[in-house]
Amino acid sequence: MIDFRYFIIQLFVIIMVAPLVNGIINKVKAFTQKRKGAPLLQMYFDLWKLLKKTSVVSDVSSWIFKVTPYIVFSTAVVAAMLVPTTTLIAPVGYAGDVILLVYILALGRFFMMLAALDTGSTFGGMGASREAMISSLIEPSILISLFTVGLIAKSTSAYQIMNFMKGVGFPLIHPVYIMAFIALFTIIIAETSRTPVDDPATHLELTMVHEAMVLEYSGRKLALMELGAAVKQLVFITLLVNIFIPNDQLIHIIGISAVVISLLIYLIKVIIVSIIIAVVEVSTVKLRLFSIPNLAALAFILSFIGFLQYFVFGR
Amino acid sequence: MESYLDVLSVLILLSSFILMANKRIKSYIKTFKIQSAMIAIVAGIMGINSVYKEGNFDILVVCAVIIAVKVIYIPRLLNKTYANVEYKVEKDFFLNIPILIIGCCFIVVFTYFSISTTKGINMGIINMRVVNSISLILIGLFFMISRKKAIGQIVGFLSIENGIFITAMFATEGMPFIVDMGIFVDLLSAVMIMGIMVFRINEKFDSIDINKLKNLRG
Repeated sequence: MIDFRYFIIQLFVIIMVAPLVNGIINKVKAFTQKRKGAPLLQMYFDLWKLLKKTSVVSDVSSWIFKVTPYIVFSTAVVAAMLVPTTTLIAPVGYAGDVILLVYILALGRFFMMLAALDTGSTFGGMGASREAMISSLIEPSILISLFTVGLIAKSTSAYQIMNFMKGVGFPLIHPVYIMAFIALFTIIIAETSRTPVDDPATHLELTMVHEAMVLEYSGRKLALMELGAAVKQLVFITLLVNIFIPNDQLIHIIGISAVVISLLIYLIKVIIVSIIIAVVEVSTVKLRLFSIPNLAALAFILSFIGFLQYFVFGR
Repeated sequence: MESYLDVLSVLILLSSFILMANKRIKSYIKTFKIQSAMIAIVAGIMGINSVYKEGNFDILVVCAVIIAVKVIYIPRLLNKTYANVEYKVEKDFFLNIPILIIGCCFIVVFTYFSISTTKGINMGIINMRVVNSISLILIGLFFMISRKKAIGQIVGFLSIENGIFITAMFATEGMPFIVDMGIFVDLLSAVMIMGIMVFRINEKFDSIDINKLKNLRG
């Protein structure tokens, strides 16, 4: 039994808001460089234009190259189904938790790397190997920080964790949660290929990671890849804001208006986190590829010490 | 108020991890500045508490001295010393950074273990703030032995001093005023002497790498 209200709200909000996050980040970056920047809705226009174009497929590539955009996009959307944007509507009939979330996204990434290797271009292979390295470095810290929060909430389901967090009040003044929060924030920057790890603005062969993998795509398939990446980014931001900055305990009315207010507050939180990500992005320089383990080690021990503090002190 | 102090102690520990992960001397100094600023905030919160409870202005004065000495004066002195040094090769650590950071993690675990096995009236009680600040001392020591260059070692020494101060603050709610002031005067003179030493090492050996000091042996 699937709750259709949850399904519709989730699909609509995540897919419609996801390109906006990129728009906000680019706008803030442009403002800090004293430029006017592209319009806030630029990514929607890009996607619309790309969807109308035909896509060119290399004739030496196999079926993996053709199915990968659909797999990337659908795994991102399925992952979005596991992370509620509002906790006021319970996701009835969805069996899935944060561990499934991490590995569903890993499935999409796996196919992305295969497709990058499939065309046989040098950039694709380079991007795939870099992405494999980064994702394997980041995975332990994301799991441990989510396990810490899950242990406290006594559930690994994202909805249950968010529901539990409503009772905590303001989690960021608690030592355990602030460790997990900082670790998860670092992870988001690495996962969504933002500046200290990857530079989303350039197509320079020395630095690109995500762009190198989607280099061979065009038209509709490129649109799906880009939208999939944006949805993945919003899924992580949703996880961050709804776990660590819960807001639904403040709403005392019930019904449709409560859901609308909750979604509006959610949107404000997403905008604030995007602005913070943009500020981090302009104030840091891109790390060398072999310095990324330093960042990953830092994120890992932050989540590990949060875990340790939970075990020593309880909640 | 209490949970703010908990979070601040965790953030101070985090700043020492970031100090360990830094690669450049300028960023050591910047991280040290942020760490001292957070310690000044802790002292400020405790000072306001003690003014309300006992009418005691000592800790607020200490807080002002920390801001003057550790947040403003010493970083400026170190930056000036570093600007005068001609030989500027940045990479100066013995092990690579992920191993150093995981070593820090072991230090924290060790501190938890050793605090939980102390005998006495507090046996079996673990105070999170004391654990974090003692870890800060040990990580400062580890930082000091992991860096080759003299300025890195000065920053490690200052980080140890920060750790000792914050341990005293958290364990005793403020030491006697005269003790704190004495420590600050010692620290200031130590840093000035070390700054001059760095300059002299640079003049004699064209480098601030302390391994070059072995050249003196006949």
